[in-house]
Amino acid sequence: MASINRRGLLFGGAAVGAGALLTACTSNEAAPTAAQTKAVDAAAGGNAAPGEKVVIGFSAPAADHGWLAAITTNAKAQAATFSDVEFKSVESGSDAAAQRAALSTLLAQKPNVIVLLPHDGKELNSFGLEAMTAGVQVVNLDRAFPDRRAYRTQVLGDNYGMGVAAANYVIEQMKAKGVAAPVIGEIAGMDELELTQTRSKGFSDTLTAAGFTVANRRAARFTVDSGQQEASQLLQALPKIDALWNHDDDQGIGVLAALNQANRKEMIMVGGAGSKQAIEAIQADDSPLKATVTYSPSMASSAISLARLIGQGKGLGDLVELQVPKEIVLSSETITKDNAADYLKFGF
Amino acid sequence: MRTAIDEPDERPVLRLTDVVKTFPGVKALDGVQLEVRAGEVHCLLGQNGAGKSTLIKVLAGVHRPDSGTVEWQGEPVAFGGPQAATKAGIATIYQELDLVGDLSVAENVFLGHEPRRFGFVRRGTMVARTREILKSLGHEEIPPRRMVHALPAAGKQVVSMARALSHEARLLIMDEPSAVLAHDEVENLFHIIRRLTARGIAVIYISHRMEEIREIGDRVTVLKDGRTTAANLPADTPTTELVSRMTGRSIEYVFPPRTATAGTDDLLTVTNLSRAGEFRDVSLSVRPGEIVGIAGLVGSGRSELLETIYGARRPDAGTVELDGRRLRPGDVGSAVRAGMGMAPEERKSQALLLGEPIHRNMTLATFTGLARFGFTSARRERAESERIAESLELRPRDVSRPVRTLSGGNQQKVVVGRWLLGGTRLLLLDEPTRGVDVGARAELYRVIRDLAAEGVGVLLVSSEVPEVLGLADRVLVMREGRMVREASATEIDEDTVLDLVMAGSLMEGAPA
Amino acid sequence: MTATALETGRKRLWAGESGESVSRNLILAGVLVALLVIGAITQPQLYGDSAWVWSNVLSILQLASVVGVVTVGMTFVIIGGGIDLSVGAIVALAGVWSTTLATQSFGAGGMIFTAIVVGIAVGLVNGFLISYGKLVPFIATLAMLVAARGLAASISGKQTQISSSDLINGIASTKLLGIPILVYILAAVAVAGWVLLNRTTFGRRTVAVGGNPEAARLAGINVKRHTMLLYALSGLCCGIAAIMLTAQATSAQAAMANLYELDAIAAAIIGGTLLSGGRGTIVGSVLGVLIFATITNLFAINGLSTEAQNMVKGGIIVAAVLVQQFRFQSVTRLFNRKP
Repeated sequence: MASINRRGLLFGGAAVGAGALLTACTSNEAAPTAAQTKAVDAAAGGNAAPGEKVVIGFSAPAADHGWLAAITTNAKAQAATFSDVEFKSVESGSDAAAQRAALSTLLAQKPNVIVLLPHDGKELNSFGLEAMTAGVQVVNLDRAFPDRRAYRTQVLGDNYGMGVAAANYVIEQMKAKGVAAPVIGEIAGMDELELTQTRSKGFSDTLTAAGFTVANRRAARFTVDSGQQEASQLLQALPKIDALWNHDDDQGIGVLAALNQANRKEMIMVGGAGSKQAIEAIQADDSPLKATVTYSPSMASSAISLARLIGQGKGLGDLVELQVPKEIVLSSETITKDNAADYLKFGF
Repeated sequence: MRTAIDEPDERPVLRLTDVVKTFPGVKALDGVQLEVRAGEVHCLLGQNGAGKSTLIKVLAGVHRPDSGTVEWQGEPVAFGGPQAATKAGIATIYQELDLVGDLSVAENVFLGHEPRRFGFVRRGTMVARTREILKSLGHEEIPPRRMVHALPAAGKQVVSMARALSHEARLLIMDEPSAVLAHDEVENLFHIIRRLTARGIAVIYISHRMEEIREIGDRVTVLKDGRTTAANLPADTPTTELVSRMTGRSIEYVFPPRTATAGTDDLLTVTNLSRAGEFRDVSLSVRPGEIVGIAGLVGSGRSELLETIYGARRPDAGTVELDGRRLRPGDVGSAVRAGMGMAPEERKSQALLLGEPIHRNMTLATFTGLARFGFTSARRERAESERIAESLELRPRDVSRPVRTLSGGNQQKVVVGRWLLGGTRLLLLDEPTRGVDVGARAELYRVIRDLAAEGVGVLLVSSEVPEVLGLADRVLVMREGRMVREASATEIDEDTVLDLVMAGSLMEGAPA
Repeated sequence: MTATALETGRKRLWAGESGESVSRNLILAGVLVALLVIGAITQPQLYGDSAWVWSNVLSILQLASVVGVVTVGMTFVIIGGGIDLSVGAIVALAGVWSTTLATQSFGAGGMIFTAIVVGIAVGLVNGFLISYGKLVPFIATLAMLVAARGLAASISGKQTQISSSDLINGIASTKLLGIPILVYILAAVAVAGWVLLNRTTFGRRTVAVGGNPEAARLAGINVKRHTMLLYALSGLCCGIAAIMLTAQATSAQAAMANLYELDAIAAAIIGGTLLSGGRGTIVGSVLGVLIFATITNLFAINGLSTEAQNMVKGGIIVAAVLVQQFRFQSVTRLFNRKP
């Protein structure tokens, strides 16, 4: 009996391992979040009714990170809500040159509109010009082209505004707690990106106006492990922290892990971007994370909707103008425990 | 023998007086005197470690002497570096020819001093001048645009000499130029050297081979332990005297007497072994305690044969059996486990970990056997290595020294010693005495004989026919990938073997 | 007395490896202490608190732990004459694979098993391509770098996968006798690596294969099989590191362990591992990792920017190599001076 049992145990162990390896391939398929798209309400106006067919080309950098992944997922899902939209997405590699090559192929297929999140706005500006000249409308997403002729419409997040919103929340909380000279830490994202610099500037400008300063700032790389590592070092540098702003909720998982590992719960923490994970944590209110300032990938869904309207020559229903505006800058909103429930559906 | 040049220019172009050069731990040169005249071939003799290499490097501007004077064309000089020496007209051709394989002949000849105009290399001029120089060396058949790696060793050597001439060299230093050449190519080398000396260029010629010195040399200087022991001897000085100046001993080849009685059953049986383009249908056998020598030219397939028997190359056909058990083709591991060992041709690149200590090199094939449960035993390894070092009279005896610091002969002892550790029953030796000085040679011969006396079978390959005849019990002659003759060493003489070895190059297409 | 001391010194030097690397490692340890002293001088207030100093030392050790484990494997590969550019990607792949919902359903044991099996398997593929496919290690592992990150991204669906195993996450947050478990793991891997390199036939083969592959082959060592095992060993270390990193970040994603290959190679080189193979020490490599971690820490506690930190790290790599060259020559001279 004993030997049979042992054999069974061994077999079981092997099966567990094999199962784990096999199933790994099929698990965790990123399910498009229905909540981040918005089927146009038929009652709201004429825009809901299927119009002429629009071919929308889409390109975003290969996602190595949750926010970018959500951009692509949202765009695809939003396009699927329209019966009159044909959606063509191209894989666009890991750098600006690769994306350019992919875009040229896309342009050759003559779509009506191209929605594009460029690797770098400056580097791909010339493509915008080329496409516009060829009569293809370009909707730039998130990373602005310097040349206004290079796009029909830009949908941008507000990086500076994120910093401002985060700082305002910190100031408000500190004043409420009566901390006169708070120790404020900052975990930034990839430091070589302009958007990181802009976010940090918004943060420090606003703090300075209130008479506060950033005591220490470490730049992570938008990844969980770099978030953990940089946070662990920031905690060493600042034995007591009153407030901490982390630019990105994805790396924030690592930042929170570092706080937990060091057993440091004395500060309030503000996140950035607005991931589902973060919003849930804010709602649960069981960690230092008390707020996050949005930079939502839902902008991809909006960009697709705008692209469809541009393709059909229609304007936005609630606006007086007959055409879609040239630029839309989304405001960075502050999610706290009070309004978390409203934003949960936008979390990625 | 060679008569003195017609109008001897008695004024030396180069004179070294009391040159001393010390390195950490070694006095490499300890009072060297040397005098070289224009247009002569001055031979430099000495055992490994006598200071020849250091002397060359001093002349080439690589090292600066600590004391003593170097006079070049009557003026005392101190070269700041190799470029300065080259510029002054001293060119050195090292044993490992320092050519760039992926550049053309002309580019190599003018490497570093290409003819230029407005910063652009004048290829046409470069090729034309290379052609001229090659012609002056009697080798206009070498195409200046050919890539150097496509040339045979002899061709590369000619290119090295052409490079020296492109610098208008007045003194050419050649370090064992014949070592990389086949027998018939050496004659051609001498031809070129005579052309150079006729133009008044002086040559310092370094070689271990007495017959070459007698043929090409004018005068001989002998070094021992960094000191000049005899200067300006005539080249026809009897060999015994030269050898005694080098070593204190008086014979060139010292073979211990044959005592071993070979067993009767074959230890190694090779049957119809073939490898395309290298050798065909080779069958041979070695008995325990027997030394079998293979004579043949470079390119006769002898080294390839040895490596194939050892499993380092995979045969196309045929079998190798040790004690009647067939070895897995192309698997060194199975050959070693069966009791085979090999000392390959290129010691440094094929056999040694130069930076590792002696004992780790000695146990390279046996450390697994000395280990327990995968854990090595440094103590046992050292003890075993010390025992072998003792029996081989290894110098230095300290087995923790890196192998790099040993002379060629002692490095070879380490390689042979490696196989004495593991109960090897068949030892394959490929050119065991190449680059080994006379004294160490005799010791190696003794070691090989002792091994045979203990019942180890030895299969030996050598370019030097006297070595094969003196050491082996039985001789096999290889030519163009085939065995052409097998005989007892006592039944066959040097001339016969040489005839057989060279037959192919003398009589085109002669049947074996 | 002096004569004997000199003689011992000289013997050590002739012993080559041991003597040379001992003094090299002493210098590295000196650099490490110097960095800590700089920290104490620049931040006297923090260093005034002994509890903080202890916690800071632990934080440096934790920071070094994951890269340290990867570097031990890398050191073997480099001593063996190869290079493994795919270590960061293997860590990411093993981390992602072990945190899929399916794997997590088997619990912490299943996750550890998966990470290690994935690490070894990818290492074996590297080794196979290099040994039997005759690909240059640089190319083979570069291709694996790209491919493994790609596979990691497709398995994770480009999402961050949260580890919900308290046992795994506890590896990074639990202390034993006041020392984090991660530090014990680094110590265990380093000691095991040291024993493997210096006391076993595997280590001897590694040095032989890296120092002169032809000589090793002709001495009867199965060079191909050993080369393959070296990459598998590196993969194993990556698997262990993946668990450690997942525990630290309480999650895994395809982009994690970014540029670990460069950190590990740089640490090995600073530690005196010869890039051409045949020489190197585990102690040196671990010291190299600790120096890097201490620099990161030093810059963090002084609130200096990451750019400056990276420039200093680059400078340290060059300086370490230059100093070692210079130092070895001068020490050789010293030992050979006549008493």
